[in-house]
Amino acid sequence: MFASDGTVRRHYAELSERVSELSSDELRRRQQACEQSFLHQGITFTVYGDNSSTERIIPTDLLPRIITAAEWARLEAGLKQRIQALNLFLHDIYADGRVLRDGLVPRALIYGSKHYRREMRGIPVPHGAYVNVCGTDLVRREDGTFVVLEDNLRVPSGVSYMLANRDVVRRAFPALFRTAGVRPIEHYPQDLLATLRSLAPFQDDVSIAVLTPGVFNSAYFEHAFLARQMGVELVEGRDIVVNDNCVYARTTSGLKRLDVIYRRIDDDFIDPLAFRADSTLGVPGVFNAYRAGNVVIANAPGTGIADDKAVYAYVPRLIRYYLSEEPILASVETFLCREPKSLSHVLANLDSLVVKAVGESGGYGMLVGPHASTAEREAFAEKIKADPDNYIAQPTIQLSTAPCFIEGAIEPRHVDLRPFILHGEQTTIAPGALTRVALKRGSLVVNSSQGGGSKDTWVLSA
Amino acid sequence: MFYSVRHVTRFRYSNPVRQSVMELRMQPRSEGRQSLRNFQIATMPRAQLYAYTDHFGNAVYHFNVLREHSELRIEAQSVIEVSHAVALPATADALEWQRYNGLNLRAEHYDLLGPSDFACLSPELARFTAAHQLERPEGDTLTALRKLNAVIYGAFEYEVGITQVHSPIAQAIKERRGVCQDFAHIMIAIARNWGVPARYVSGYLYHRRQDKDRSAEDATHAWVEAYLPSFGWVGFDPTNNIMAGERHIRVAVGRDYADVPPTRGTFKGDAESELAVAVTVEPTSAPVRHEEFLRVARPISATKEKTGPTEQSYFQQQQQQQ
Repeated sequence: MFASDGTVRRHYAELSERVSELSSDELRRRQQACEQSFLHQGITFTVYGDNSSTERIIPTDLLPRIITAAEWARLEAGLKQRIQALNLFLHDIYADGRVLRDGLVPRALIYGSKHYRREMRGIPVPHGAYVNVCGTDLVRREDGTFVVLEDNLRVPSGVSYMLANRDVVRRAFPALFRTAGVRPIEHYPQDLLATLRSLAPFQDDVSIAVLTPGVFNSAYFEHAFLARQMGVELVEGRDIVVNDNCVYARTTSGLKRLDVIYRRIDDDFIDPLAFRADSTLGVPGVFNAYRAGNVVIANAPGTGIADDKAVYAYVPRLIRYYLSEEPILASVETFLCREPKSLSHVLANLDSLVVKAVGESGGYGMLVGPHASTAEREAFAEKIKADPDNYIAQPTIQLSTAPCFIEGAIEPRHVDLRPFILHGEQTTIAPGALTRVALKRGSLVVNSSQGGGSKDTWVLSA
Repeated sequence: MFYSVRHVTRFRYSNPVRQSVMELRMQPRSEGRQSLRNFQIATMPRAQLYAYTDHFGNAVYHFNVLREHSELRIEAQSVIEVSHAVALPATADALEWQRYNGLNLRAEHYDLLGPSDFACLSPELARFTAAHQLERPEGDTLTALRKLNAVIYGAFEYEVGITQVHSPIAQAIKERRGVCQDFAHIMIAIARNWGVPARYVSGYLYHRRQDKDRSAEDATHAWVEAYLPSFGWVGFDPTNNIMAGERHIRVAVGRDYADVPPTRGTFKGDAESELAVAVTVEPTSAPVRHEEFLRVARPISATKEKTGPTEQSYFQQQQQQQ
């Protein structure tokens, strides 16, 4: 919101003025109205392993984050470029493996990953679009540019919060919203539907369903929300049956042929016949129907190989390799411990780096150098030396802050940004994003399971 | 030499089950010295079969039964022609190990060089290799692998029931007993550790009385193929301490058993299942030449049925009424 000299950045001027006119009580009243609205709509998420109340609302901050038209134009172009390159990469490693033959990416990185699905080799996917829904995490650096932290290419979630936040914040600041020239995002479900439809082998009367793991999933609300918004069936694995290599949903009016499945369950669980045999969530035989072209699964199985932490380091090179373009969006500098030069650098600078295990996620197998004790660092160095291929290191990243309304006062909190990219016959990005907020002062953890909240994100039209 | 193979599989359920979905890897491969002349599958209850080729080039058939049933029977019959094996020399030359360096092995055989689910390294395997001086290969490639084949044959008793389909090889090593699947996995793990690309072969063995084979006569068989730069894929059968030859009929190849089970399936219903298998391999003198196996890439039901009358029928219906 503020420039480095303490003045209000131009695109925040109106919001700043509006907020300063309102009393703290009035702001609190509006904040409560937002929270009430979330509860009434049942927009909750599940915290696993917490007995007190498993269903919670994600705290929404009253104050919107604002992104200028120029900032957005660059983000949009960069995200489109990135998803195009990632899809070309996926096509390549599941077809010819040109990038492996040319030695740009080491084979061990791909074939050694549990996310590489050999079953996908040689299977054509419509429009070459493996990743149909992508949620990319970015942070804003001190110089104001955005840098990509992570691509989420499997089953990214959070888009329902992007839409719900807009709904409540628009009502909290109706006049400001009207005059600010905020670009609409309400059409996201329709864009998603159009994207899914474009994947079907024929275009008339396409039958689509959202496949959810079930009501106990943390994002079940979102699955139900998207199905309802798109006007398609919400199904669990047990509601689907494969017969004669075609896929059907059991409905109240009998079996209904399915053409496209927007799955929100992990690869492992899609089909006990093809993947994890003990999966009770999946549909036996659905992968064979997919292979035969009788149904489309979105995102395609096997996309997880491209959002691996080690592959992340190669994305700028992949963009140059497949598109002959320079990457528009920066990535975080990443040291691959498998490369001897990087390894010695990492071991010499453990106190300033964050080291992550390649195959893990959610903070497991990780060392935050600046916060670790000497003994911890030494122990971790041994682990890295024992299996350098398994580790990458990055400099600690400073998240930017945005003003938040916290217990009656306006305070800065760290935020990140997750826009959602749709990729089918065309690539579309709703001009908005989920801004995740670390609600604890000084905290850098924005995950909703760790006490993170979110904010509405306004992309201005001019 | 022509063989006729009949492979019957029967699943029985303690209670009727509602739904079965199953994949079959039962069609002998048609390549090299082996040609498939005829192949048929029948299921009971009857089901429509679909097929695809997996990424190892194995033919996979699959089907589903939606009706309630308490028994599922699969009968596969094939006629295969196997021609004489070119005799291998007693030893390879001393340069054979070095020839691996000239090949881009990682590119060609990445998956067959490292450990896999079943053919994996373990402390038990390390103790086994140490006890039999198998840590490093001895002599040229062919000699070393033949020795490995013989050592595994000598170190284990063939006994059904000690290990299960999903037992890790560590169990067979501890018990000193196992079946062809265990021996193949142990050999594969050691060969790969030496840097030799090795794969698992599932198939059938024609048993003759004079051969004194240890492997069970009425079951499917499994052995190992190792890649040697001068000879290509060479088959070793550690269960019987022989080279894979004219009596071995290859059905499917993969990293290990997990890639090539003859049947893999699921059923819905609260029931225990019993599996029974019978295999007969017989020489035959009636080599009927049948058409090549065609892969059903896209069955007819893949395209959506037209709801309205076809154009042809539309014109036909407009015929003149007199």
